[in-house]
Amino acid sequence: MMYVAEAWRVLMANRARSLLTITGLIIGVGAVVAILVLGKSMGGAVDAALGGFSDNSFIIYPNPTQKDVAMAAIRLKDLAAVKDTVPGIMDAQPLGFHSDLVRVGFEQVRYEISPDGPIRFNTTPLLYGRDFTSYDVTDHAHVCIISNAAYQRLFPNGGDPTGQNLYAGAQRYVVIGVMQPPHHGFINATFSGDITIPWTTYVDTYVRGSTVFAGRFIADNPASIPSLEVAVMNELRSLRGANTLEYETFDKTQITQGINGVFNAMTLVVALIGAVSLIVAGIGVMNIMLVSVAERTREIGVRKAIGARAGQILAQFFVESLLLCGSGCAIGLVIGLTIGQVVNQVAIVKVTGSIAPLPWLTAVVVAAAFALVAALLFGTYPAYRASRLDPIEALRYE
Amino acid sequence: MNDAPIIELRGIVKVYTSGPLELEVLHGLDLTIERGEYVAIMGPSGSGKSTLMNLVGCLDRPSRGSYQLEGVDVAELDDNALAAIRLRKLGFVFQGYNLLGRADAMNNVALPLFYAGFGAKERRERAMAMLAEVGLADRARHKPSELSGGQQQRVAIARALANDPAVLLADEPTGNLDSATSEELLQLFSKLHGKGRTILMVTHDEGVAAHARRIVRLRDGNVVADALR
Repeated sequence: MMYVAEAWRVLMANRARSLLTITGLIIGVGAVVAILVLGKSMGGAVDAALGGFSDNSFIIYPNPTQKDVAMAAIRLKDLAAVKDTVPGIMDAQPLGFHSDLVRVGFEQVRYEISPDGPIRFNTTPLLYGRDFTSYDVTDHAHVCIISNAAYQRLFPNGGDPTGQNLYAGAQRYVVIGVMQPPHHGFINATFSGDITIPWTTYVDTYVRGSTVFAGRFIADNPASIPSLEVAVMNELRSLRGANTLEYETFDKTQITQGINGVFNAMTLVVALIGAVSLIVAGIGVMNIMLVSVAERTREIGVRKAIGARAGQILAQFFVESLLLCGSGCAIGLVIGLTIGQVVNQVAIVKVTGSIAPLPWLTAVVVAAAFALVAALLFGTYPAYRASRLDPIEALRYE
Repeated sequence: MNDAPIIELRGIVKVYTSGPLELEVLHGLDLTIERGEYVAIMGPSGSGKSTLMNLVGCLDRPSRGSYQLEGVDVAELDDNALAAIRLRKLGFVFQGYNLLGRADAMNNVALPLFYAGFGAKERRERAMAMLAEVGLADRARHKPSELSGGQQQRVAIARALANDPAVLLADEPTGNLDSATSEELLQLFSKLHGKGRTILMVTHDEGVAAHARRIVRLRDGNVVADALR
């Protein structure tokens, strides 16, 4: 198009001025695109970090600041009652960690021991062996599933360790499973130690007294977790006959939402900065376009005398604004994508082991929308002014 | 249509209003220009020649009176219609050339063709033909700053002729040129006239006006002399 070619000539004739004018747009679009790229992979990072946390589990524990903490404590028999009486609860187990000295052959390391069941709380897939069965639980079996880190440390010779003995404190366990290496999550949200044993066995060995510090419940459907949490808390209160007891809940959705909330707030702030810089940059564009119209008054007069219609003059100056805004946003897009990608490479990739695909399309659409909105908001008026110039006056302009 | 005069002005009055002040510049002027004429309009400053030129050039509308351009009444047309008339029927040559400095000669000549909606290829071909007609085919890729004043004015003439207008309007076309270059340019006008172009030229220089076939003299907004030579 001739308009574009002419507009380009004009902008290139005032290179420094054009570049300064679009600096604001470059910064604004760059920031927004960068946060877009990062927001995308941050979301992926949160998911990856929580990868080991089972989707259908939730945790309930007494609020430690309430007056009657002892009364609110969850007893083992409460867990059994909840499992029997609350529909939709497939299993109820204690949550716990216990540090103990673990030994295989001559290798001896201190590890956290945790309880688990047939539907594993830590969903990291297995490298060797099998999951716990319900018989392991009912039989209080002395079997264990070990993390990949523990496997590397305790079985330095490698190979399939299932069937071998592992000693934790005074107890002997048979290794039945080894987990795959997890993503190196920056949030340890698996609530699981390196050595997991059937939760009944854990209770026998490590739980003193009849209460646990938290209960872990498995829902038949992740979607019903919020309502099940309420049902379980009500059941716990009725079991104690005190409806003022306070409980706290914890589940994957909560963590994800919490972290995503932070990112969303960050995104919003950057979007606001982007919007402000868009307005400021737009005013700059408008200013320079008004200057350009004033400088070229005579040219506009000549064009009109030659036979250009008002609409054609308008189009010419609008295309110029559009090109100005468009090049600013294009440069901003490239810078934003570059920054986003570099941060992805140096930071996010370490967390997730992989990076989310670049949101090309969204970024391009955002940048194009910025350019169009800026040109429409701030390029229309100068173009309109140019188109309304009286040709006789304009021709007389020195 | 073809036997109608190119320009027929009847009882043209132009009043400029500035606040409470009214200034009547043309007082019922009549002027007819036939196809193929070469007319010079002369007169001292303030005689109304610029106002007349603006009216004839459809840059302005008369306050009263009728203006027929090739039999079409243009006095009442709106801005866009006037722009179309300027584009198709009128070609302007200014004293100060008024070429676009950023564009080369060919793109300057192609500008009215662009406004008329011609495609890129046709624009190029017609612009080259026009440059050839004014003897600047070899300067097509030169920018105005790389051309002499006379050459720039030739490019301006090529631009004015690009859409094959009914009349060529020249406002002091030699005003910025030395006498030798002026002479060359006037020869070009004579050549164009010889090919049948209708030319209306405003000047205050008797020597320049002497090249025209007809001289119309204005004084205080009235035609005081109208003579064929």
